[in-house]
Amino acid sequence: MRRAFRFRAVGAILGLALVAAACGSGDGATDGDPIKVSSFNFNESVIVAEIYAQGLEANGYEVERSLNLGAREVVKPALESGEIDLVPEYTGSVGAALGVEQSADPDTMWEAARAAFEDLGVTLLAYSPAQDKNAYVVTAETADQYGLTTVSDLQPVAGELVFGGPPECPERPLCLQGLEEVYGLQFAEFVPLDVAGPITIAALEGGEIDVALLFTTQGIIAANGWVSLEDDMGLNPAENVVPAIRSEVADAYGDELVALLDSYSEALNTEDLTEMNKRADLDQEDPALLAGEWLAANGFVEE
Amino acid sequence: MTVWESIEEFLAEPTTWSGPGSIWARLAEHVLVSLAAVVIACVLVLPLALWLGHVRKGSDIATAVVNIGRAVPSFGILAIAFLILVQMGAGIGEPWAVLITLIALAAPPIFTNTIAGIQSVETSTLESARGMGLTEGGVLKSVEMPLSMPLIMEGLRIAFVQVIATATLGALVAWGGLGRFIVDGFAQQDMGQLIVGATLVGLLAILAELGFSAAQRATTPAGLRASR
Amino acid sequence: MMLAQEATPLIDWEWIGRNMGEIVDRTWQHLSLTAVSVGLGLVISLGLSVVALRWRWTYSPITWVTGLLYTIPSLALFALLVPIVGLNATNAVIALTSYTLLILIRNLVAGIDGVPGPVLEAADGMGYTRRARFWQMEIPLALPVIIAGLRIATVTTVGLVTVTAVLGLGGYGYFILRGLNTFFWTQILVGVTLSVALATVLDVGFVWLQRLLSPWARRTG
Repeated sequence: MRRAFRFRAVGAILGLALVAAACGSGDGATDGDPIKVSSFNFNESVIVAEIYAQGLEANGYEVERSLNLGAREVVKPALESGEIDLVPEYTGSVGAALGVEQSADPDTMWEAARAAFEDLGVTLLAYSPAQDKNAYVVTAETADQYGLTTVSDLQPVAGELVFGGPPECPERPLCLQGLEEVYGLQFAEFVPLDVAGPITIAALEGGEIDVALLFTTQGIIAANGWVSLEDDMGLNPAENVVPAIRSEVADAYGDELVALLDSYSEALNTEDLTEMNKRADLDQEDPALLAGEWLAANGFVEE
Repeated sequence: MTVWESIEEFLAEPTTWSGPGSIWARLAEHVLVSLAAVVIACVLVLPLALWLGHVRKGSDIATAVVNIGRAVPSFGILAIAFLILVQMGAGIGEPWAVLITLIALAAPPIFTNTIAGIQSVETSTLESARGMGLTEGGVLKSVEMPLSMPLIMEGLRIAFVQVIATATLGALVAWGGLGRFIVDGFAQQDMGQLIVGATLVGLLAILAELGFSAAQRATTPAGLRASR
Repeated sequence: MMLAQEATPLIDWEWIGRNMGEIVDRTWQHLSLTAVSVGLGLVISLGLSVVALRWRWTYSPITWVTGLLYTIPSLALFALLVPIVGLNATNAVIALTSYTLLILIRNLVAGIDGVPGPVLEAADGMGYTRRARFWQMEIPLALPVIIAGLRIATVTTVGLVTVTAVLGLGGYGYFILRGLNTFFWTQILVGVTLSVALATVLDVGFVWLQRLLSPWARRTG
């Protein structure tokens, strides 16, 4: 029957299409699989991830990007389970997430974090001299009004101030949780915004919040004349940028891949990050372009 | 910590029950903005829909409106509205972007169902009404509207339930509402907060659904009700 | 002196040019999430509809449960599934499929119910078995209503896929979220426009499919 045939044909085509669409990629790693590069949901992370991704691609590796994945609560499990392979991390923060002792010394911090992460199947490669720590920022007006230069200066007035940061902030040892435990700060209110992004920046500008969680490498702080309060009680550990790669993937690809990533880490410094962040945050430049420029300027790729 | 323990812990915290981040505050925000959106949507589209239905035009427009409305992602409207408002100087945390998005979401079902409802009244009924001496306005008011109440209520019900569910997205643009518990619970890996938030929104939506179904029955003219 | 956060001009065409690869990737992601969810939803709904048609009393509870699923906000359902299924496409598909069930079942049942009695009797008279009658008579005649349901389910799903951006997926929703993270208009507009375009294309596709599968409807106008 013509009608019945037509149905069956359409049904078969649709069925095949569904199966094709549903086919996912396999697990495990061989050196034929693309390397899945990911990042956290803020500009700097995307920039550094793009540096890795573009650098690897320029050297013939196949790369799959899933950038802007989310906060560490989302990214770390994805890395451990193999949904992603490579992420730019920060020694102190990942150490805090892994529950290891915090240290302001880059080597010590890195060693501790590396050992703990190894148990979960993730390798921290060589760390970069570039550091990016949490910054607790107020406007120049607020700093003048309450006489604020250090975080401790907030102690008498925190109860009158509103703190703004990413939604995960209250549970983070280097965010509200730490500010409470180490500095004894109890703010009037916490407003969940984004991860040191334009919403947080707009909220600080507009006065909806008094203290913002930003990052030390965000050039917009200086550009706007804001004050990054000094961490006088040393809440923040060393926060060196470090590639976190699944051990399986590192093993499958071997020394060449590791050496490549090490070379990027070595060349990256805090000033570079600050400059690139400023251009991304303030001038709205494309993180992918900034990464490409950096790679070219440092001789890793042709112009 | 098990899920139950997390829920217990969340419910035991004082900030859950008092202050700007409390269940009451978020619930109030959520309900108020949802109500406001539906009311404003009604004000905006009901007059036009009633008229179009009465003059028996516009069923094509109605279908098109609903199709377009369904094709436009609310998350996208929210992002656009939010960005425009921030650039215009609106404060972070204010509900306007969410409100605009929800009005855009509520309008199509109200618009379309009202037109369909009015047009479902049989012409013979209208002629009888006119024959009895009613003006056009009178026909609309005393005959068409009461008879189309079931469908109009249906539109309101669909709109309200969708609005309540979609208002949760407001948490993605730094607003409050019950979506706050979902987004924050997810970010903080606090299952208790997440589940309480999700459950509350679900309950609210079910309440709205049941409430409107009851209202639908209540506003159906007795004569129609008998034949249902 | 405060430097206000400026957003970029509306459309940065160069950005679009540079990111065509990502746009294409996200198109596949959006399309496959939609197709798998609606497809799966259709299969499940067909099964549940057969049950509901055979044992009428089950229609109410089935509609009740699928209706309940429908009222759970998508954001909540995605988040709730994370500890159970993880942060991946499976999570998204489970949630997205749930949202299609109510409309698909309703339209499947209404469509089949709408087949005129005399037609069924004629089929019985011609010697069709019950199964043959269902698949070769009732379903084809119910097609307009079924496809109407598929259209609604598909367009709705295309919109919901954008919310999966919070799971790291998103299809075109990735651009919306990223644009929100950076106040970058081009990304947001690209995400929204393509999402609407995809929904429209699929909608029109279904209209053609209906015409293809019901040529008799065309003839009778």
